[in-house]
Parts: sequence; structure tokens; C-alpha cells
Amino acid sequence: MLRCSLTLCVRGAAKRFASTSSSENFLPPNLLLPTNLVDPARLKRPPPPAGCPLPVLRKCDALVPAHLSPVHTWVETLGQQDAEPLGLAQLHPDVFAVPPRLDILHTVETWQRNFKRISHANTKVRSEVRGGGRKPWNQKGGGRARHGSIRSPLWRGGGVSHGPRGPTSYYYMLPMKVRVQGLKVALSSKAAQSFLYVVDSLNIPTPDSQYLLDLVRHRHWGESVLMVDVGEEFPDNILQATASLKTVNVIPALGLNVHSLLKHEAVVLTLDTVRFLEEKLLWHDRRYTQLHPFRLPYSDL
Amino acid sequence: MSFPKKPGGKALDALQNLPRITLANLRPEPGSKKLDRRRGRGQHGGNRSGRGHKGERQRGTRPRLGFEGGQTPFYLAIPKYGYNEGHSRRPQYQPLSLKRLQYLIDLGRIDTSQPIDLTQLVNARGVTIQPLKRDYGVQLVDEGADIFAAKINIEVQRASEGAIAAIERNGGVISTGFYDPISLGILIRPVSFFLRGQPIPKRMLPGEDMVPYYRDAANRGYLADPEKIQQARLALAQKYGYVLPDISKDELYSMLSTRKDVRQIFFGLAPGWVVNMSEKKILKPTDEKLLEYYSS
Repeated sequence: MLRCSLTLCVRGAAKRFASTSSSENFLPPNLLLPTNLVDPARLKRPPPPAGCPLPVLRKCDALVPAHLSPVHTWVETLGQQDAEPLGLAQLHPDVFAVPPRLDILHTVETWQRNFKRISHANTKVRSEVRGGGRKPWNQKGGGRARHGSIRSPLWRGGGVSHGPRGPTSYYYMLPMKVRVQGLKVALSSKAAQSFLYVVDSLNIPTPDSQYLLDLVRHRHWGESVLMVDVGEEFPDNILQATASLKTVNVIPALGLNVHSLLKHEAVVLTLDTVRFLEEKLLWHDRRYTQLHPFRLPYSDL
Repeated sequence: MSFPKKPGGKALDALQNLPRITLANLRPEPGSKKLDRRRGRGQHGGNRSGRGHKGERQRGTRPRLGFEGGQTPFYLAIPKYGYNEGHSRRPQYQPLSLKRLQYLIDLGRIDTSQPIDLTQLVNARGVTIQPLKRDYGVQLVDEGADIFAAKINIEVQRASEGAIAAIERNGGVISTGFYDPISLGILIRPVSFFLRGQPIPKRMLPGEDMVPYYRDAANRGYLADPEKIQQARLALAQKYGYVLPDISKDELYSMLSTRKDVRQIFFGLAPGWVVNMSEKKILKPTDEKLLEYYSS
């Protein structure tokens, strides 16, 4: 009895193991799915095929290593809701296809949350609590326990022995290359899970927020979108449209960070942003160790 | 490889079928966050909290470090001797082997068509000099003298005989020069100095104990007689058994014979000049007294 139940268990475990190890998603036969269920994998546009006739609008500026090939993505436009992609763009594999180091993502995200933290929790020690300088009663003869002050930590209303002491800073800096790698891993994971979209520019025809929401819903980008552009000035339409929206946000390329990338479901980059990011993130791979601060005029010799 | 490997490998392919990476999905690598053993908590951290049983150990009243119960302690019983006496006044020279120099030249980090200075070595990240730790410069060591094959004009602070022979055998020029600590600090970090806006100071001459070293032609010192240096080159060639190449007939002779003035820190910049990095200008003094001071 035990032996046949054991073999049944092993067989069932083998079937479950086989289904998880293979890449296709096996659905159990007795599953009842609701009719209005949305499967994003079937609704999103698939990645561009190998022999696509559309022109390549952007090639990688930096040299791509011989053993890697660039990542291809569609270049779309925000002008009309149902516009077709304008062309293809090549993304550098050392920025958009690095191995997905989830532990680096966790490290950088924790750093981003904690390095700015200053905790203002403060408690008074027995010397800081008002009063308590006089010995409450004689050492001997009272029949009560001996005490030196009414504000000792043993007393009600007394000081805290080992409490938080004043503003505490949790500042620390991760090495620059770890933070850069965190950005690269975040961008690569977005690209691999097809949440990264490239757009020619952030010009929209109307400053209407509903237009943006309809566009996002029509193209099945997701519930939250992060739009990134290079430069200090943005088109007024997009600023006005996203001002009142909570889930669609615009940031400059200098403000790109791992937390924002992971918080928003879809990430939209312009072609200028892609060029800027590749230039800045690839520089760290081939630079010398730091001798002067990097904001000084610097040149690799 | 006949076709390029798919970028990122199988991990990125696996990501396509896994749920979206969000803030809720992040976790550290298993085994990376090991909790500390806190004193006074739990079965193993509690009870006596790692203090032992009774006595001075548990009660925290142990005597000072080195006390031996009244017996004359070790650190007082042993008599003093000046092993480390004056260690903070002893000049140190960071060693640079010829093997490392050849490595830097082969990788293209050092340009051999220009005179090689300590600034070039530091910019190429070949050596790391710490002037505040009594470093007075770099010394050439003759490890790798047999594989060294580059014609260079190099200026260091100390050089061994074998290193001098190896460089001159390949038709190069080597000289040793003294930099006082302030000049050394300016030499290794020129950009930070220029941003200070101060005029370039003149390099100080060596102290009494180092003058004989830099006046000796065998060390190719910068204060030595040029004729004696030529004789020393011939003598060294005879001693090590190689034919001394004639550099005067070389096409790069003008570059190889470039040498710094005794009071000069940078090639092409004289003491007293002020370099303006932001406007890219050089300001030179015009006052007579200043000119007299800086050219002394």
C-alpha cells in the first residue's frame, strides 16, 4: 500500500517537474477560465522577425563585440493611436542584453531606498529626562528597594536605556560600477520581457490625458508607463497630458533609476535617450580607475 | 563561431516566460544575508552572552593589554633598538619593473613617441604614488630586463644598473631626477593643481644626502656632467656586453634628448606660470623680481 502510493507520488512529481522544466505553459485539462480573461502575451506586438522589410532607423554607435549581436526593437510613434511602427532600432547588447543579475537589482533598489534615509527617532536617556537628581529615599532603613534617581530606566517615566538616539543616517554608497550595472540589468530585463518600447520622439497631437490613456490601452503597453527623454525641455503637450496622470510619468534621462524602472510596467525611450544611455553606460566598461573627480575635464589617455 | 551567440544567453530567454520583475519580486541571493548572532538573545546568544563564567572576564574588569600579573611584561623586558627609528623620514620609491613597463607600452597605454614622465606613468595607471606616505617617486627595477625591447626617453627617481643597461641597450635614454614632496604631488595630479589657480612652483634641489646620488653619472643623475654620462654609458655597455647604439643618428634624437630643466616640473611649462583650465590660457609673470626669483 505504502509502496504503490510512493510510486504514484513519484510519477506525479515527475510529470509536474517535466511541465515546469519545459518552456511551454501546460494548462491542466480541468481548468475553467473566465471568458473575458486578458492574455498580454497574445495581445502585444511580437518582436520584429529576422527578415523585416522596415528600415533600420538607428544602428549602434559603439562597437558591438563579435560574439554578440544587437537587440532589435520596433520604433513607434505617439502621433496617432493606431499608427504602425516606423522602423527598427538596434540596441547595444552590453546595455540591453546583459545577464539578468537579480541580486544586483535587489542591492541597488535597497540602496536607493535607504541611502537617503535619516531616521529622526530620538528618546531621552536618564540624564536627559527632566528631574531625577535627588536620591528618592535613604539607602537603608526604608524597607523599600534602593534607588538613586526617579528617572532610572527601571522607573515609570524614566529614561530609555538603549533607545534610538537622535537623527541617524543610513547613508552609504555602492560602487559606481555596481549602480551602472543595476541600470543595465533593469533595462535588459525590461527588454527581455518585452516591456521596453522605443519611440522617435515624445510629440503628441493634443494635451489631452485621455488620448495618452487610450493609446496605452490600445497598444496594450500595461497599467503604468514611464517615458524617458533627453534634454532639459519637453514638449508642452506631453507635460500637460501627464501632469494629472498618476500612472503615466515623464522623466529626463539623467533621472533614470532602477526603482522607477521596476515600479512602472512599461518603459518608453526616445531614440535620443537610447543614444545617451548607451554612451554613458558603456563608458564605464572601458574607463580607467578614478584619479580625479569625474566632473573635472577628463580624458582617457 | 559561425553565427553570433544570442545576447544574454538562456537566462534572458527564461525571463520571457517568467512573471514581470517588479519591486515585489526582488529578493537577495539565498545565503548572502546571514543574520548576526546578537548577544543576549536566544538559546545560543543568551545566558551568559559570550562572557564566560564569573571572574574578571564576565565582570569586565580585566587589566590593560600586555599586563602579565605583575611580572615585567614582554614589551618592557625587551630592550629598545632603533629598527623603525626615523621611518617617517625615510624616502620610499614605488618599484616599477621593466616587465610592467613593457606591458604598458604593448597595450598602448604609454606613448613612446613622447618623453615618459611620472605624470605619463600615473595617467596610464601603471604605478600608484602616494606622496603623503613618504613616497618620493618611482624606481626602475630590472625584473624583465631580458624581454624589454622599447626605445624610450624615460625619467624616474631611482634606477638600478641593470635597468639602465636594458634601456640604453635598446637605444633609449634614461635619467634620474629629484622631486620634493610638493612638486611630486603636483606632478602626479596636474589637473587638480591647475584648478587651484596657483603659479607653478620651482622644483627644489635635493637634500645633502641625495646630492651625491644625483650628481653621479653612473646613476644618470640630472645634476651630473653630460660628458661623464656619455663615458658612463660606454662603460656600462662594456660591462654588460652589448654594443651601445648611437642615438645622435636616430630620427627621434630631438625627442630622446629632451630633458627637463633642474627647476622645471612639467615639460613645456616653466615655474611661475599660471594655467587657466576653464579659459584654456597660460598667464606668465612680467614683474622683474618674480622673473628673477623663478629663473634662479
